[in-house]
Amino acid sequence: MRDRPSVLVVVQRYGDVSGGAEAHARELVTHLRPYADLAVATTTAADYWTWENVYTAGIDAVDGVPVHRFPVESGRARDFRLREHRAFAKVHPLAAEDAFVRAQGPVAPELLEHLRRFGRDFDAVLFFTYIYYPTVNGLPLVPERAVLVPTAHDEPALRLSVYRRLFHAPRAFAFNSVEERQLIHRTFANERIPGDVVGVGVDVPADRDGARFRARFGIDGPYLLYLGRIVESKGCGTLFDHFLRWQRSGGSTAATLVLAGRGEPEMPVPPDPRIRHVGALSGQQKFDALAGASALVMPSLLESLSMVTLEAWAAERPVVVDARSPVLSSMAARAGAGLAYRSWMEFAEIAELLVTDAALGDRLGRSGARFVEATYTWPVVVEKYRDLFAEVAARNS
Amino acid sequence: MTGRRILLVVQRYGADVVGGSEQHARLVAQRLAQRHTVEIATTTAADYWTWAPYYPAGDDFLDSILIRRFPIAAGRDPEFKAFEHHVLEEEHHVADELAWTTRQGPDCPELLEFLHAHGQEYDAIVFYTYIYAPTALGLPIVPERAALISTAHDEYPLRLAPYRALFHLPRAIGYLTPEERAMVHARFHNEQVPDEVLGYALGDAPPADVEAFRARHGIAGPFVLYLGQVSEGKGCDELINEWIAHREAGGAADLTLVLAGTVRMALPDRPDVRALGRVSEEDKAAALAGAQVLVQPSRLESLGIVLFEAWQYGTPALVHAANPVTAGQTARAGAGRSYADTMFGAALDAVRAERERYGRSGRAYVERECSYAAFDERLERLVEATVRA
Repeated sequence: MRDRPSVLVVVQRYGDVSGGAEAHARELVTHLRPYADLAVATTTAADYWTWENVYTAGIDAVDGVPVHRFPVESGRARDFRLREHRAFAKVHPLAAEDAFVRAQGPVAPELLEHLRRFGRDFDAVLFFTYIYYPTVNGLPLVPERAVLVPTAHDEPALRLSVYRRLFHAPRAFAFNSVEERQLIHRTFANERIPGDVVGVGVDVPADRDGARFRARFGIDGPYLLYLGRIVESKGCGTLFDHFLRWQRSGGSTAATLVLAGRGEPEMPVPPDPRIRHVGALSGQQKFDALAGASALVMPSLLESLSMVTLEAWAAERPVVVDARSPVLSSMAARAGAGLAYRSWMEFAEIAELLVTDAALGDRLGRSGARFVEATYTWPVVVEKYRDLFAEVAARNS
Repeated sequence: MTGRRILLVVQRYGADVVGGSEQHARLVAQRLAQRHTVEIATTTAADYWTWAPYYPAGDDFLDSILIRRFPIAAGRDPEFKAFEHHVLEEEHHVADELAWTTRQGPDCPELLEFLHAHGQEYDAIVFYTYIYAPTALGLPIVPERAALISTAHDEYPLRLAPYRALFHLPRAIGYLTPEERAMVHARFHNEQVPDEVLGYALGDAPPADVEAFRARHGIAGPFVLYLGQVSEGKGCDELINEWIAHREAGGAADLTLVLAGTVRMALPDRPDVRALGRVSEEDKAAALAGAQVLVQPSRLESLGIVLFEAWQYGTPALVHAANPVTAGQTARAGAGRSYADTMFGAALDAVRAERERYGRSGRAYVERECSYAAFDERLERLVEATVRA
């Protein structure tokens, strides 16, 4: 292989778009630039729900990397929920699965044509996210040079027949976590395909000041921090319930639950002075907020990789997770940097411990920093991708 | 029956079905059924071009093996020739390539639904012939328990979109020959998929009464045999040209060229070329046993079963060098020669001159490689590589 492999990145949206996998793709491209000739193939969509055509079709450049955008022929279907319901039914025809994938969108046939014609000009083609049309239909066109970043968690879609081929076709996998790799191997018995736990790198500023955050937002006393969308599907309902029950039970130490994240809350936040929504934070403010927190709370059940969890650990803070989340609870145990609750009473017990015993929080946090250092730093991530690309090239030579 | 639960998926299956891949599929089903529980999933078609419904849909039995026949939703697209030309020869879109499998047929959605609903109930699912829809669309539904028996040769459709991932997906691949294996590896770089070169198996050679055959057809003196469909597609036009050129140069003066098989081309009217049309099993055995040499001019055989059948009787083979499969088989068996263009006569003379030695070598090869015991062993390795650990 040449010293600099040529790599095409395929992802459903790219640029100034929100979304874990999309941000992951863009950050990775930025870090791989010194080591690979990169190009991106994506759609004209910016919104992951409608897939409405927002960007102009054609060649664009983002961070100095050429980005080829292909038009979305059809976005998310109006009857998507119905299609999803039918495909996820215990007994359903194969045809219902095909209908689900189309209804989910973004349907971009010109992106497939691009892959048919030019995919083999690249040493490797890196596909982000297993679930959408570009990967479902694009990866089988270049299996011999495909590296799949599945970003999968244990969800009904993963059990559909239509996705099985995706997990047996690629040359290699880049998993986000040990837990994701176990899930994929357990579900598909595809251990033959090489792969590595790669994930992303976490950059954390050395200067982190909790007092600066408290002063800026007027927060006194101990607080727990939640970072992300305020939405039921991320477990916020459970979080509010458990937090308020803890605070209202006798003998609890007074504390605040600080909510931070972009966008308006997508569910009602209880009108209680002990819950503070501070809105969007800058990068520096986010790390200041982490520095001052007794712990980060991550109530979500369905994560393949939680960026904010890694950031909290990199900032030497512990994380409180729901024991029912297989990825988060297992990662927290491996990292020795988190505590998991099964009920509101366990949540209360853990929260009380962390707001009163600062030394315990610091110890857990430092253990988390060591865990992140071993896997989730950019030099480690870039090195693993270069190894994967070398492996792909060797198998095709 | 004990052992594994195995489903064999193939585009056509039945006593009335003619075709090399289908013949191989039936052999494999029979052999596997000695040790495993075997079922067949197929269509109602018997004709590989139209896929017209022929058998009734539903359960059927052959050789005591359950056959599940699923109805054909659509046969081959009546415009397929034009469509094929467009996809193979002209600028086209990936959507055309993706439509290929369904337009070629047999379009059999209920077979795919069966794999989706019941595939998990089998330990292994063996798919026959890469090119047709039941395999191209069915195997990706159950890759974790699939064995592909691709029966591929180097042809343009192998480059089309529906087949780009097919050779990477299965748990294991059964190739017919080492040449098929090398060709697939060179094209797809799928060496990571475990494989087995299956070859073929033959029972004892049927008795051959050569004198009765000669008497029936009035053939006196030594003869060279071609056995199979007599057509341009099989290279018979080239064979006849080579034959005539050789004779006109003064060679093979005592020989007759006997063509045994359905005639689908014009033939010269000469006493040294005899076309018998389709022959009985008795005639076939006698012709193979009595021939000086079996000639196989086809460039597109993916196995060439007739060579093994000739070798069983100690009859050597003369094959076209342009077909790597039959040329490779003949070289491996040491049972004849291959000829490049214009070298036909010299090669024919050379094989005749050493008929005994080549014949002995061919017979030994078939006894060694095409016995049921040897074939079963190869099949078992394929099954074990396919079954989930």
